[in-house]
Amino acid sequence: MGRPTSMNLLEVKNLSKRFGGLQAINEFSFNAEEGKILGLIGPNGAGKTTLFNLITGVYRPESGNVMFDGQDILGMKPHQICRFGLCRTFQVAQPFSNMTVLKNVMTGAYCRTSDPAEAEEKATACLQRVGLAAQAGVTARELTTIDQRRLEFARALATDPKLILLDESMAGLNHAECEITIALIKKINEQGVTIVVVEHNMKAILSLSHYMAVIAQGSKITEGLPQEVVNDSRVVEAYLGKGFTKC
Amino acid sequence: MKEASAFIIKSVSIDFARLGKGFNLTSLTNPRIYFPLMALALLLLVPPFLSRYYLHILVLIFLFAAAGESWNIIGGYGGQFSLGHAAFFGLGAYTSTMLFHYFEISPWLGMFLGALLSICLSWGIGWLCFRLQGPYFVISTLALCEVLRYLILTQRWLTMGATGLSIKFKGQNPWLFQFTDKLTYYYIALGLTLIAVYVTYKIVSSRLGHSLVALGQNQAAAEAVGVNSVKVKQIALAVSAALTAMCGTFYAQYIFFIDPDTVFGLSLSTELALFAIIGGVGTLWGPVIGAIVLRVLTEFTSANFGEGLAGIQLVIYGGLLMAMVMIKPEGLAPMLGRFYNRIVAVMPGSTHGKAN
Repeated sequence: MGRPTSMNLLEVKNLSKRFGGLQAINEFSFNAEEGKILGLIGPNGAGKTTLFNLITGVYRPESGNVMFDGQDILGMKPHQICRFGLCRTFQVAQPFSNMTVLKNVMTGAYCRTSDPAEAEEKATACLQRVGLAAQAGVTARELTTIDQRRLEFARALATDPKLILLDESMAGLNHAECEITIALIKKINEQGVTIVVVEHNMKAILSLSHYMAVIAQGSKITEGLPQEVVNDSRVVEAYLGKGFTKC
Repeated sequence: MKEASAFIIKSVSIDFARLGKGFNLTSLTNPRIYFPLMALALLLLVPPFLSRYYLHILVLIFLFAAAGESWNIIGGYGGQFSLGHAAFFGLGAYTSTMLFHYFEISPWLGMFLGALLSICLSWGIGWLCFRLQGPYFVISTLALCEVLRYLILTQRWLTMGATGLSIKFKGQNPWLFQFTDKLTYYYIALGLTLIAVYVTYKIVSSRLGHSLVALGQNQAAAEAVGVNSVKVKQIALAVSAALTAMCGTFYAQYIFFIDPDTVFGLSLSTELALFAIIGGVGTLWGPVIGAIVLRVLTEFTSANFGEGLAGIQLVIYGGLLMAMVMIKPEGLAPMLGRFYNRIVAVMPGSTHGKAN
C-alpha cells in the first residue's frame, strides 16, 4: 500500500466539552499533518489548554473523535496516549523539582524501556539535543525559566514522540530566549517530530507555523496559512485587534 | 505476579554476582567499603555481650526501623501519606497469631500469609483511592485501620476481642518462631531492617522507584510522560504493606501477646510515619535514623519519668515533630549523610573527592 505524501497524524473531529454552564470547546475539529508545525492561536480562555487536555486524556469530552496515527485514542488515559507517541508540555513548566535534570528526563525515557542504564543513555542523548547536557546533575528547581523549558522538551523527547503538543512554550521568556526556543522547536520538527503549538506570541507563532488555526470561545474561527490567517477580518476582530495586519 | 518474581530473582542474583566480583582485598582499604563493614561487624558482634535490657531496646529499634522503612516506600518516596499503616502491621500480627492459635501453623508461614493478605488489602485500597487526587488516601488508610480494629474487637468468638491473644510458649523452638533468648530476636529484627533497606534501595534505583518519586512530585507531568500512576502506586503500596505485615508478625512473636488497641492503634500508625518524618522522608536511611532517635528517647523518658509523668513521651514526640517540621523539614538523614561523607573523605584510604 503506497503511503500518501502528506498524512494527518492527528485528526480531531467535532470535539465538545462543557464545564457546568460553560461550553469550553464546541464542535472543534482540526488535523495535524505529519512532519509539519501547526500553530493554534486564540485569546485567553478560548479553550486552547482545554483542547490539549481533551486530546491527551486528562479530560473526557462529551462528544467527538480523536484519531492518532490511525488509532482511536479517545477515552484512553494520559500515560497510554503517551505510549502511542503523543506527548505534551505544560503552559507552566512542570519539572519534578527535587529530582536532578537527568532523572527528570529518565522518567520520560522509561516510557520505552525498563532498564535504568538504557534510560540514562537515552536521557543523556535527549539532553544533548536540547543543549542541557551540562546541567544533567543539577536539581530541576534550580534551573532558569529557559532551562526548565529545555528540560520539558528533553523529557517529552525521551518518550520517543511522533507528535508533541507544546502549550505556550514562550510564556515568561524574554526576546532572546524566545529566539532560542523557536530555533529549538524548528530543530525538533526537522528531526521528524510533528508539532502542534499553542502560543500568544504572534511573532513566534508566525515564524514557526507551517499552517494555523484560530480558536475563540471554544470554536474554530478559521484556518490556513499564517499570512492568510492574520489578515482574516474575523481573526483580527476576535483576537488581534485592528492594526495588527502590518506584522 | 510471574513477571514480578522473575524480576526479583534476576535483580537479586545480579546484585550478588556484583558483590562477588567487586569484592577483593584491595577494595577493603576504601572507607566506603570498610566503614559499612565495620558497622555491620559491630552490629553482629557486640550484642552478645549486652544485657537483656539493652537487647530489648535494640530489638524494638530495628523492628520499628524496618516498619518505618516500609512506610517510607509509599509514604516517603511516593508522597502518599498513610496514617493507617498499623492496619497492615496488625493484619500481619493477627494472621500469624490466629493461624498458630487455632491450627498450630508455624508463624514463619503465617508471616508470609499475613504479608499476602496485606498485599490483597492494599491492592483494593489502592485501586479505590489512587484514582482520586487529594486527601482521599490519607483518610481511607485511617478509616481502614479503624475498621479492622473494630472488626477484631467485636468478633470476640474468633479474636478474643479486647482481651487480646496470647501466644502459647512452647520453649525454644526455631521452627515455631519462639526463642528463649533475646539475642536471636535481635538478629531477626536486624535482618528485617536490612531486608527493608535493601528492598527500598532496589525499588528506588529502578524504573518503579523513579516513576514513584516523579509521581510524588508532580502527578500530571509524570502521567504526561507515560507513567501509569495508579499501577505504580499500587505496587509500591503492596510492597510496603507486605513488609509492614512481616514486622507485625515479628512483633507478635517477640511480645507473645497482641491486642487490637496496640497493633491496630492510631498511635502505632502515627509512630510509623514519624520515624520517616524525623529521620528524613524519602531517604534510604531516614526511617532507621528516626527509629533510633525516637526509640532511645522513649526508653530514656519512660525510664526516668516512668510512673510520675506517664505519657510524657507523647508530649516530647509532639514537640519534636513541630521542631523538625519548622527547623529541618528534610529530616536528619541529609545532614547526617553530609557528615558521613566528610568523615569518609578524611579517613585513610579514601579516594578523596571522588563521590560514591
